[in-house]
Amino acid sequence: MAETGRLRHAAVAAPLVSPVTLLRIAIVLGVLAVWEFLAHSGWLYRDVVPSLLSIGRALAALLASPNYYFNLGVTAAEIGVALAIGGTAGLAVGILLGANRFLSRAFEPYLYYLGPTPKIIFFPVMIMWFGVGPESKVALGTLSCFFPIALSVAAGMRQIDKVLIRVGKSFRASTWQMVMKIYLPAMRHPIINGVRLGFGFALIGTLLAETKLSNKGIGFLIIQTYSVFDMPGMYAMLIVLFVLAIGANSLIGKLGGLDSIKRK
Amino acid sequence: MTIAVSSAPGLPRSYAAPLVGLVSFIAFVLIVEALLRVGALNRFIIPLPSEIIVSFGRLFLEEHIVHRFLVTAGECLIAGVMVTLCGVTVGVLMQRFKLFQQACETWVAAFASAPLVLTYPLFMVIFGRNAWTIIMMGFLSALPPVILKTIEGISSTRRVLVDVGRSFKLTATQQFWKILFPAALPTIFVGVRLGLIFALINIVGTEFLINFGGLGQLINDLAERYDLAGTYAAICFVILVSIFFFIALEKGERWLRPVD
Amino acid sequence: MPPPVVSSDAILVADDIVVRFATPEGPITAVDNVSFQVRLGEFVSVIGPSGCGKSTLFNVIGGLLSQHDGIVKVAGETISGPHQSIGMVFQEESTFPWRTVTDNVAFPLELIGMPKAKRIERARYFIKMVGLDGFDNRYPGELSGGMRQRVSLARTLASEPKILLMDEPFAALDEQTRLLLGDKVLQIQQQLKQTTLLITHNITEAVQMSDRILVMTYRPGKLKRIVDIDLPRPRTSEIVSSEAFGRYVAQIWNDLREEASRGMLDEEKEVLSGHEGAR
Repeated sequence: MAETGRLRHAAVAAPLVSPVTLLRIAIVLGVLAVWEFLAHSGWLYRDVVPSLLSIGRALAALLASPNYYFNLGVTAAEIGVALAIGGTAGLAVGILLGANRFLSRAFEPYLYYLGPTPKIIFFPVMIMWFGVGPESKVALGTLSCFFPIALSVAAGMRQIDKVLIRVGKSFRASTWQMVMKIYLPAMRHPIINGVRLGFGFALIGTLLAETKLSNKGIGFLIIQTYSVFDMPGMYAMLIVLFVLAIGANSLIGKLGGLDSIKRK
Repeated sequence: MTIAVSSAPGLPRSYAAPLVGLVSFIAFVLIVEALLRVGALNRFIIPLPSEIIVSFGRLFLEEHIVHRFLVTAGECLIAGVMVTLCGVTVGVLMQRFKLFQQACETWVAAFASAPLVLTYPLFMVIFGRNAWTIIMMGFLSALPPVILKTIEGISSTRRVLVDVGRSFKLTATQQFWKILFPAALPTIFVGVRLGLIFALINIVGTEFLINFGGLGQLINDLAERYDLAGTYAAICFVILVSIFFFIALEKGERWLRPVD
Repeated sequence: MPPPVVSSDAILVADDIVVRFATPEGPITAVDNVSFQVRLGEFVSVIGPSGCGKSTLFNVIGGLLSQHDGIVKVAGETISGPHQSIGMVFQEESTFPWRTVTDNVAFPLELIGMPKAKRIERARYFIKMVGLDGFDNRYPGELSGGMRQRVSLARTLASEPKILLMDEPFAALDEQTRLLLGDKVLQIQQQLKQTTLLITHNITEAVQMSDRILVMTYRPGKLKRIVDIDLPRPRTSEIVSSEAFGRYVAQIWNDLREEASRGMLDEEKEVLSGHEGAR
């Protein structure tokens, strides 16, 4: 299974003159051309589709601005802490539920059905509990990423090849050794996938919260560009945000994908 | 005499575990109520559970929560129809034109992991602070899973079924409509289900953020009025709606593909 | 069977083991009053038809199944869980796919806190012993089924158990690989003078490797007969073509045939009664 995935990627990443790459370049150029046309056509309200040049300039200004990096750092820190807390809690709860059939049947349905719900609506509660500072954003991020991680880990625990657990028991491994040397490595794929999902949700939760009520962070900057109608600035920020988000996501995925040989 | 319990299937499933879960939940609520009443927990940030339950009545009578629910449901319906038509079509086209698929599938997958809902300020500029912004957020966030699952569904049709079609000398179009598409439907439904869930989440979320629409706006409203019990009650209501929607989708999917 | 006298060099004693399981159809007895001993350095096989409880016995002796009557003693000590003097090799694929061959084999040494350099050296010794020299840094995913079983074996040997307990380790392999691996195991056993208890359903394998064979009945599993294998040592797979070998196999098959038929009849009855229930 890993081979077919890798084969497809190999075909796509082949020499620069491959038809796929050509098509991609064509699509990108096409979109840019239509964009630029719309920008100069005057059909839309001014600056709703700003010229590529203005977006480019805004982008350059953004990437050179220390204020941007400060806010980026704030958001990144919020997400990092949210993932740390939510991830650890999710891991612990997941291991517990995955290991014990009774607990799983008693409590896992709550996680399963509470997972796909909009967490941003909890933000007013978070503000009441944690104030208007970064803590409330971290809290929302934690809430967002806890569920996918806990559910992935619980499912991963149940999918561990039972014989590996018996091997550990036959060598009389302690509980700690079982967790660190058998359970966790055996679950590395579900864990990585859970963390990937969790990262995505923490990112969204934190950013949305920042757009709602904050004076720092990327979400705040974005809503600021909205309030002053700085469209090139907004586009620039969204572009950078998406690049970073997609990049971080594939980075986490690569971390798990390193095991392609070991995968079984 | 010592008897080991075998893990044989068919052992009667007791309801002990779900019961324990339910009882724990109720006990938790009761404990919170008790702690609040004695002042161990702060009543200015956590309302009494009993108050929250009472507030439900208010929500129905004064806040027209049913009407708001219908507004949200309407937005979801529109977004759902849009994303199904658009997503499945794009997925079908991408699968049909392999080069297109090879070029763009990873892009779609990348967007599946991107914070699309963060573009809501952009759509507020384009559409204003109104329902279309909300619907677009639902639509955009639901699009990637529908497209990806459609491609996956059609691509993973069992080879032998395709061969059956070829043995009957079906044209490409017949092959598609009589074999590939029906075989792909279960997977496509999974994609649509995922998409609808994302749509609901993002629609309610956007309503909350831009303070317009149905249920999400209600929560925002109540929060800004410092109606603590009302806010909590509204949040509970939305969670319940979410859960029912999710269960309904699951049941719907199972009804549509009983074979699996 | 008359109660056996515990001989002085019996390192493993199983005394009156009874294992019952609760199933939806009612309690069944998997193992019924099984008693035997294994002497130091002996190679003993337990053979029986499918469903005779031999894997259950394996789990009992290995300490993974504690709900049973009767006691198991290792070097005079009653066990209450996996014992450090018993090393288990399982039937299924049991190598850790995320560890290299060396790290797999060094696993038991890691658990007891042996320093890294020493672990690797010790692991290398056993990797060589099973004939996987050169594959130290490969992952199980890169190896064949037979090689992976060798890794599992090396891993268990690395813990230097007094008793090696194996549950049909070669069941998933083809006949030729099995014979050759059987050679390897014999060679190792003879080199280390390793006390071994092998659970198997394969008569050829049992006769090839054992000093004694315990033949079990179909469920409820009782000890039917103990056969002393008087073939010369050292042995190799060439022995399978000898006359004496053939006679032992025939003798054991004679015993087993009856049990195996009962097993098949039972299975057929189960299938039929299942159909009745469905109607």
